[in-house]
Amino acid sequence: MVRETNFNLPQHQSKIGILVLFFDSLYKFGSAFLPIILFYFIKADFNDKLIVFVEILTILVVAVLIAYLKYRNFTFYIDENLDEFIIHEGIINKTKTSIQLDKIQQVNIHQNLIHRIIGIYAINVDTAGSDKKEGNIKAISHSLALALKFKLLDNEVKNEGIIIDKVVENKEDTSLNVFLKINFLSLLKIGITSNYVKSIGLILTFFFTIIENLKHFRKEDVFDEDKIEKMVNNIPIYYGIFFVIIVMITIIFIINITRTLIKYFNYSIAKQKGSLLLSYGLINTESTILKPEKVQIVNISRNFFQKKLKVLEIKIKQTLSDEKNQNKAQIEIPGCNDFECDEILKLIFKELPQKGTMLQPNFRKLVFAIFLTIVLPLSGFYIFGIYINSEILNYSHFTIVYTIFFLLIHYFGFKNYRLYVNDNHIIKQSGAWDIDKEIIEIEKIQALTTSQLFWHKSINIGSLTIHTAGGNLTFQLCKFDKIKEYVNLWLYKIEKSNSNWI
Amino acid sequence: MENFTNETIDTKQLPRFEEVQLTSLHSNYWKVISFKNLIIFSILAIALVFLWIILEDSERFSVYLVFGIFLIIVNVSFVLNRISFKKKAYAFRNHDVIFRYGIIATNTMVVPYNRVQHVALHEGFISRFFGLATVEIFTAGGSSSDVEIPGIDKVEAENIKQLLMGKIQK
Repeated sequence: MVRETNFNLPQHQSKIGILVLFFDSLYKFGSAFLPIILFYFIKADFNDKLIVFVEILTILVVAVLIAYLKYRNFTFYIDENLDEFIIHEGIINKTKTSIQLDKIQQVNIHQNLIHRIIGIYAINVDTAGSDKKEGNIKAISHSLALALKFKLLDNEVKNEGIIIDKVVENKEDTSLNVFLKINFLSLLKIGITSNYVKSIGLILTFFFTIIENLKHFRKEDVFDEDKIEKMVNNIPIYYGIFFVIIVMITIIFIINITRTLIKYFNYSIAKQKGSLLLSYGLINTESTILKPEKVQIVNISRNFFQKKLKVLEIKIKQTLSDEKNQNKAQIEIPGCNDFECDEILKLIFKELPQKGTMLQPNFRKLVFAIFLTIVLPLSGFYIFGIYINSEILNYSHFTIVYTIFFLLIHYFGFKNYRLYVNDNHIIKQSGAWDIDKEIIEIEKIQALTTSQLFWHKSINIGSLTIHTAGGNLTFQLCKFDKIKEYVNLWLYKIEKSNSNWI
Repeated sequence: MENFTNETIDTKQLPRFEEVQLTSLHSNYWKVISFKNLIIFSILAIALVFLWIILEDSERFSVYLVFGIFLIIVNVSFVLNRISFKKKAYAFRNHDVIFRYGIIATNTMVVPYNRVQHVALHEGFISRFFGLATVEIFTAGGSSSDVEIPGIDKVEAENIKQLLMGKIQK
């Protein structure tokens, strides 16, 4: 099937890969110098332009040089005696990374645009350790990548063979068993209905960075503040707000849809040796292996529109090696329907987690949230208006909108705030618009914290935090007796079994 | 398989973590905290005095007011530290470690031994003078689920570490 390659001898990357390395260093230079170059380019007269060209040429030459040297100095091999995967790299500072084969968590093969054009692949070796303990090979041919991946993971199967079902292993070997494909329509639905807040954040950051940069370079020339101020003043305020909102919503829709499509195009999930193999992407193709044993928290999220359109999003949090890597350890499966979601859950948890006994929060949670976000800011607003500057009171009708908005959010947030407990799983449901269901396995609990404010002692309410290797789960203000009872039960379940958590 | 039984667990019969008698921190640890605070506030006081000398129009500020505020901060910090010290307590059970901490809230954290990754002993500069050490217990759950129990007698801390190491290897 795959050309047998001897990985025991030091290997170079694929020769054509110099091109990838070249673009890589070019990109690094580019992102560092681009603003300056662009700025000179716009503002400079002819003589300066010459200098800019010389500069660009120098950068190109240096990039080529760096790419070649990087290629020369980069070798990788598998040390069979020590069972280690070893990478040598570095031009001036030499680095030797050795990764124990049984510590390898994931081997990802992926392609970005340049990879795709010249037809090669990049390979990522993930471990449970920190960032430094990771192997990245930037340019490798497909057959070699597959062979290496096979070799790296093959060793692991040998060591962890007990965990993985032997029958399945023999039958399927490396053959893929695609069981879920997310179609274009589902992605479109997800694109329209999710990530509003994230997109607004993106737009705002983008907007402010541009303004900041413009101000930074030439205060008066580029940016005529007076003019803009005048323009803004001429537009009636309601009309202005309405206009801004319409523009924002359009931009958000466009960004969301394109982002979802580009990122998740052709999303397919396959079963392989008891793990899940995910691959997706329009421009950059990503493929990731997900092992059910490594899954810590599964988050199923769906809002009102998504419910009507019969789609939902799944986020899977794995063991995080580093707080920084939190995003990387999270795998998203967008746009599956209920049936597909159940199938995935069955694969991960080996059974479908049922909602068991329900815990509700105390009404004080609602009261406190209202106090914090409505009563406090509004009293601040009116005190400011009455005692310091009465002009602000002209806008007091906005407070009604504000109050209604937050009342609704808190009401639904409170209504949806639930903790379900059954024999093996804990499900926390929360959220006002996007309703999240976070599922964890009791076996995967690392530690438990109960917390109680001293004035809550007499009314017997308190909070619970469940620590897992993929993050925490907090459930606030419910019956403290009940929490303590569950903590005792869960501790008993964890401690009586000697099984390791991974 | 024949010996396998699956009886209902009586949750009322389970050992209760909330009823465990907790050990409070070594009384010398209060001295460590006080000493640390003394150093911090001395530096702050010296800085204030210097500032007062250097600033030209420092007469505008009332010395009594500044001193008063300083005293209030010192007192509040003292009270908070005292509460925090009083509340911290720990217990090592057969299968897990319990640690209680907090100022306004009472947090009780329970870490089962079979989830502990490694254990470390830490001796602070001041703690060493009083023969105290901190036992640090790390899990895979990241910093939020790690336990640091300060103010344990050094010999005892060493014993605890040995005990935990034994439990982990099992």
